[in-house]
Amino acid sequence: MSDTASPIGGQSECALRLTLNGTERSLTVPVERTAADLLRDDLRQTGVRIGCSRGVCGACVALVDGVPAATCAMFAFQLDGCAVQTIEGLAKSGQLHPVQQAFVDQGAFQCGYCTSGMVLLTKALLEQHPQPDRATICEWISSNVCRCTGYAQIIAAVEQAAARLAAEETA
Amino acid sequence: MTAEQPVLQVVGTSAPRKDALEKVTGRAVYSTDIVLPGMLHAKVLRSARAHARIVSIDTAAARRAPGVHAVVAGADLPAHIVPFYGYFIKDQPIVALDKVRYVGDIVCAVAAETEAAAIAALRLVRVDYADLPVAANIERALAHDACALFDDAPMGVVPAYGDGASAQLRPRKNVCYQFNYRTGDTAAFARCDHVFEDEFRFSRMTHYHLEPFVSVADVRGDSMQVWASCQNPFPLRKELARMFKVPENRITVQVPFVGGGFGAKNNVKTEAVSVLLSMLTGRPVRFCLTMEEGFLTNTQHAAILRLKTGVMADGRLVARHSEILLDAGAYSDGSPLVAEKAGYRIPGPYRWEHIDTACLCVMTNTAPAGPFRGFGGTQSSWASESQIDMIARRLGIDPFDMRKRNLLKLGEPFVPGESGIDSDLQEGLDLVCKEIGYHERQHDTSGTLRRGMGISIGFKDGGGVNKPAQARVKVSTSGDVFLQCGTVEIGQGARTALAQITAEILAVPLDKVSCAPINTDYLPFDQGTNASSGIAVMGQAVERAARGVREQVLAFAAGQLGVDVSALRLGNGVVLHGEKAHPLAPMVMRHYGGTGFEFSADGFFKATSDHHAPLEAPCVFWEIGWGAAEVEVDTATGQVKVVKLVASGDAGRAINPIMLKGQEDGAAIMGLSQALFEHMIYDDQGHLLNADPLTYRVPLAEDLPHAFVTITQEQGHGPGPFGSEGAGEGTILPIASAVANAVHDAVGVRITCLPITPVRVLEALINQPINQESVP
Repeated sequence: MSDTASPIGGQSECALRLTLNGTERSLTVPVERTAADLLRDDLRQTGVRIGCSRGVCGACVALVDGVPAATCAMFAFQLDGCAVQTIEGLAKSGQLHPVQQAFVDQGAFQCGYCTSGMVLLTKALLEQHPQPDRATICEWISSNVCRCTGYAQIIAAVEQAAARLAAEETA
Repeated sequence: MTAEQPVLQVVGTSAPRKDALEKVTGRAVYSTDIVLPGMLHAKVLRSARAHARIVSIDTAAARRAPGVHAVVAGADLPAHIVPFYGYFIKDQPIVALDKVRYVGDIVCAVAAETEAAAIAALRLVRVDYADLPVAANIERALAHDACALFDDAPMGVVPAYGDGASAQLRPRKNVCYQFNYRTGDTAAFARCDHVFEDEFRFSRMTHYHLEPFVSVADVRGDSMQVWASCQNPFPLRKELARMFKVPENRITVQVPFVGGGFGAKNNVKTEAVSVLLSMLTGRPVRFCLTMEEGFLTNTQHAAILRLKTGVMADGRLVARHSEILLDAGAYSDGSPLVAEKAGYRIPGPYRWEHIDTACLCVMTNTAPAGPFRGFGGTQSSWASESQIDMIARRLGIDPFDMRKRNLLKLGEPFVPGESGIDSDLQEGLDLVCKEIGYHERQHDTSGTLRRGMGISIGFKDGGGVNKPAQARVKVSTSGDVFLQCGTVEIGQGARTALAQITAEILAVPLDKVSCAPINTDYLPFDQGTNASSGIAVMGQAVERAARGVREQVLAFAAGQLGVDVSALRLGNGVVLHGEKAHPLAPMVMRHYGGTGFEFSADGFFKATSDHHAPLEAPCVFWEIGWGAAEVEVDTATGQVKVVKLVASGDAGRAINPIMLKGQEDGAAIMGLSQALFEHMIYDDQGHLLNADPLTYRVPLAEDLPHAFVTITQEQGHGPGPFGSEGAGEGTILPIASAVANAVHDAVGVRITCLPITPVRVLEALINQPINQESVP
């Protein structure tokens, strides 16, 4: 790795601090490490899946400050100071998040390899659009690829999760 | 059909998948997640030339590179191994020996401390090539002056075939295999009122499984542990044993969850490289491909299909000759099997007097083609269902009536010696026509947007050829049930469905049945997770094992209780005599003096061998996909919009309806994608022009038609447990032809080349202006 290519001042390693699923973490990693490798290899968040390594398929999506991000196409150092949420941080004390439950109920996954990204994408979608229409759902879900389901059951899961979260809101 | 059928408790429910929690929480373990102490990483140098002789290769600098433990080029292959793999034909080398045959061919492999170190070392390898003429497509490879990919016929076998079927290895240059099937007399053509000859082209897709091809191998002395993202662990074990001259019982293949395969993950892919490098370094080796490398590892078969079909004026089908040319790519892989199926399925679900079909696997300087969902049936259904529609319109018959006149009846053999069709085909056709409103369709002949509807019946024989399956079911004294079978959980949900079948037969709730992880040391043999065989083939083995263990438990309890076995039944892990419950543990303790005992039974299923069946055993079940599409064609731009898509399969009985629907949805959308845009684009020099995830387009949620309906039929005629049939491939089969037929219905032009792009439609409209007379 050429040091001159480094955007952070000629170092080969960098120290970073981030919040992973609510817990502060500090570690030192090579500057060229991708965010996906950091999460998978250094922080053992293997729910972050590597599909295309080009930021296209979305299997590696984590929420970075609440925004879905393709971590395979980011450097680890870009997570410095960020709050990162992975699929591992979604269920609370064994209780599935309503989005996860909706994916189970609607059969919205098969091989499961896209599921982490799809679930996190849905969570972010519903935070921004609590009552999304079909077009909005399709637009958001189209940033990730699922090769198994043909998407209909994923769309149904998003709709179920939206209804459930809205019901919780008013309860 | 079984006695339990009226009172099903578990089968037929959309129970949550057994892997649901692991998959939605991210805890599911895939082969990509396997990490071993001291593990090295493999990377390979791939040829940038489509066809070239290797003049020299210098790996000295790579060997000295930091972190490198082994470098293997052709000359470095150990003398004692057989460095070739394949299915019927063993022609693919672990690394290139004397020449490279496609862009992506493996030239050299490196094991290093990290992937980055391996990649850095590969940059130091120097290869001198002498280019050879390139044959990047079927026509070029079959030309008289084409350069042969193989100078001699590689080692291979032709399996036994039954009545009417035959095959040849390398019948001519650049053809690795030819399958033939013939029944009836060619003279039938002479009696026909019309004979139509048409040619169809089928483009190839890549599987695009999200989990890459990956394996980890740990070779220690003469024992070998392999973790692989693989659809057929037992045949993989056998192939590795043959190649590396290791006894099968020294090889353990384990398969964690598989992140999609769609056919690609059969037989050796990454495993030979990881095993070889582990053998040479004495360290565990992980070999994980990028998606770009996946594009170059296995693909669907592009094809040219020429059909000559003789009919009577009233639309009765009489005779068909077909010549199917499959683009096999540079190595044979699964091509001979795909050729069998593409050739055999070309008659479609219709009655004929005469069929004569030849299917050739043409070797080209492109990525090797292999099994892909639909397995030759997608190609044959595209051509056959397009031509049936064309002939109907030429004769002035509605395509619906044309099909209705010729469909095989329930129970009628597909061809002589074959099993009977196990669906009411007309019932399925009526269903999709009703859903889309086919008989009420109208043609608006004004404006630039024209609507039309098309129908199609995709067809394949399901369950593989001569495919065996073995399973074991054990019951502990606590009444817990252990299902052990080799069906890989690749997303289809088969292990949940097989557990549901087991739970039903043993009268326990689904959560009392566990399904063992895939490990070839402990599990009964299975030929592979493919051919929609999970329910129809393995399901029958599981059913037999479960019934066997039930009989054991009941016979044992009858002896202990001193009652007739017919007075006993199982319920929630105990034996019931009337209303009285007898747990197993006290009875076992009384008899065996402890509780150290498990009831256990094995089940085996294979269709009975029969030389009168063309493929040596009658087909286990017939996988039908009924499709109907409504399109809107923009005559100004050629854009085809699928307004409504209807797809339906007959599951016989749905073991788990929601999982089944997911399979049918997924297959149909894969078919839609193939119809409209998805394809690998090769230039005439063998370069794949969209060889990366940015430029290769797969369907997204936005591509779903506004109305998308899949209908699960449960006609109940299947051979599987509780009347079930196989599923998961049927609904990919009819989609492309249904869309092409709908385009014809809308604007009167025929697209015979996939995908149905705006350019092709516009060209057709220009060359053949809209002619409403052609729409009956």
